[in-house]
Amino acid sequence: MGLSLEMKSCGIILKLLTVHGLKLEIGNWKLGRTVQKHEGQFPISMFHECLLNLIILLMLVALAPLTAGARQVTDQLGRQVVLSDDPQRVVSLAPSITEIIFALGEERRLKGATRFSDFPPEAISLPKVGSYVQLDLERIVALKPDLCIAIKDGNPRQTVVRLESFDVPVYVVDPRNLEAVTETIIEIGDLLNAVENAADLVNNMRSRINRVKSAVAKISHRPGVFFQIGISPIVSVGTNTFIHELIVLAGGNNLTKGPIPYPRFSREQVLFLAPEVFIITSMARGEVFERVKLEWSRWHEMPAIKNRRIFLVDSNLFDRPTPRLVDGLEVLGQLIHPELLEEQQ
Amino acid sequence: MISNKPFLLRRLFAVSLLLILLLIVTMFMGISIGSTGNDLKTVFQLLSGGKVVDPMRAAIIWEIRFPRVILAALVGATLSLGGLVFQVLLRNPLAEPYILGISGGSAVGAIIGILMGLSCFPGVGFTAFAGSVAALLLIILMSSGQSILKKDSLLLSGVMINAFCSAIIMFLISMTQDAKLHNIIFWLMGDLSMSDTRQVVILAATLLPCFLILFLLSHSMNLLLMGKEIAQTMGVNIKYVTMILLVVTSFMVSATVSHCGLLGFVGLVIPHMLRLTLGPDNRVLVPSCVLGGGAYMILCDLLARVLPEYGEIPVGVITAMIGAPLFIFLLKRSRQ
Repeated sequence: MGLSLEMKSCGIILKLLTVHGLKLEIGNWKLGRTVQKHEGQFPISMFHECLLNLIILLMLVALAPLTAGARQVTDQLGRQVVLSDDPQRVVSLAPSITEIIFALGEERRLKGATRFSDFPPEAISLPKVGSYVQLDLERIVALKPDLCIAIKDGNPRQTVVRLESFDVPVYVVDPRNLEAVTETIIEIGDLLNAVENAADLVNNMRSRINRVKSAVAKISHRPGVFFQIGISPIVSVGTNTFIHELIVLAGGNNLTKGPIPYPRFSREQVLFLAPEVFIITSMARGEVFERVKLEWSRWHEMPAIKNRRIFLVDSNLFDRPTPRLVDGLEVLGQLIHPELLEEQQ
Repeated sequence: MISNKPFLLRRLFAVSLLLILLLIVTMFMGISIGSTGNDLKTVFQLLSGGKVVDPMRAAIIWEIRFPRVILAALVGATLSLGGLVFQVLLRNPLAEPYILGISGGSAVGAIIGILMGLSCFPGVGFTAFAGSVAALLLIILMSSGQSILKKDSLLLSGVMINAFCSAIIMFLISMTQDAKLHNIIFWLMGDLSMSDTRQVVILAATLLPCFLILFLLSHSMNLLLMGKEIAQTMGVNIKYVTMILLVVTSFMVSATVSHCGLLGFVGLVIPHMLRLTLGPDNRVLVPSCVLGGGAYMILCDLLARVLPEYGEIPVGVITAMIGAPLFIFLLKRSRQ
């Protein structure tokens, strides 16, 4: 990450060149002298100059893959990516990445996004390059991106490989937990020269997370939470998910924790788990929510129904690895421990 | 049949020329039109060897659209040829690679490959081929010995294998995590978008010899259609020819299935359309299935790319939606 050492040495070479009055044509790789005076008078100095030319040439050859204004970084999959140090035509290959770029205030660089990039509302008007699971290669290439940011889960690996065959640098992120999301924000901030904004954003997220953490530290009981993300079949979340992490941070006990990331349940199994807090989110919006809530409301034996603790939440706050996960955390905190947050206010 | 050889050659030449023209026109359309607009002028410039203003457009035309058009042509040709061969072998107008369970077998293999996280090529290609070979072996085993020549037993075992494969596919889908479900479902609906030049070249190198073998066997296919007694007296080794036809066809089909999933109906529509217009001689039908099937698939893929505002319609949906009504119309007219 960051500016590579080679770039700095490149700057030193350029300085050296100006000191010695040498003309450098990077485009044609031609090195020549502009100072022609005293030629022949000091053969030794000519030899020196030749030597210097040779050394400079060798150094430039060593730096050949890094043309001016380029740098090499390692992405989250450990791949080496050579990209512009000031990318101006960025294409985001997932809604979450679009959100992060907007949150960093670098949307002017964004020249394309995927179909469901709907937050913030300004993102809707960006040129679309297919959905994140079915990218339209032709549209991406036509936008002439100097950087594509991809996400490992969802973006087809083959599309990434093919994009690179068009000399489009693709930086792949793979955030697996809240901490990794903050790191991703910092990395994207670094790629887009928005280091300060990224640091501010992450500090803000961390302080809000800490506020919830310190509030939750006082609790004596962690209510059992059933978090339903799929309607039919009934799907919940296992341990290795953002939602599990948020439930635990918000002082709940995820009843469906386990090695399977998105386990399926029968209605019978859900009743057996006896959740105290029931939270429903789904890709399908609107009336479907209400219908599902109504269906569960028949089971008065379930503690969550008895105590009227069945809630609907906006799925975008929970399934996208963006700064808005912290909004999701605060929403969960209020739903799982309403008493604590009232106390705080 | 031997006496009218010059006539046959003339006919073959005329039909092929016509279909080659059709194929060239569709290919031209295929590389000119895409999701970022149409480039008729650029394509003309490129083909006439002129300087192209925008290298990016040239890259889109040659490296994105062209391999895809070629892939579509290869797949269309393979599936129609597969349909033709099975219709001859089973003497059943409803036969196509799907009916025999060959596609089903390679689909099961390919889905297992996707679930194992293998790369599309050669990983999934290999598991798909293994699946289709397994299906083929099962079919041959079930209808082993002399009964391989009985069309009913071959068809029945095919139907059973197909049903079994569908059950396995459904089982695998129901057990799959959401993240991989997308991949499998797109693939099952038929997807030509993942074609790069290298893969298409490999596919072409495997398919073109198969086309040639089938063309060389087309006279035997004619004789097979006349019944096994006549074929035998005309010097056709029925068992041998049947085996070659089965193996070559299932190899071709599994190669395409592993690349672009299940594309239905092509194997039914194209051979029938061509038979209704050109007559039943397989020596004409084999090359015209290759050319006509290719052109048909390019057109369907073009529609799949252009019709929706965002993304693509799965091309399998288009082949069926155009194919079925066209087929019914032709059938009705031919009966009148």
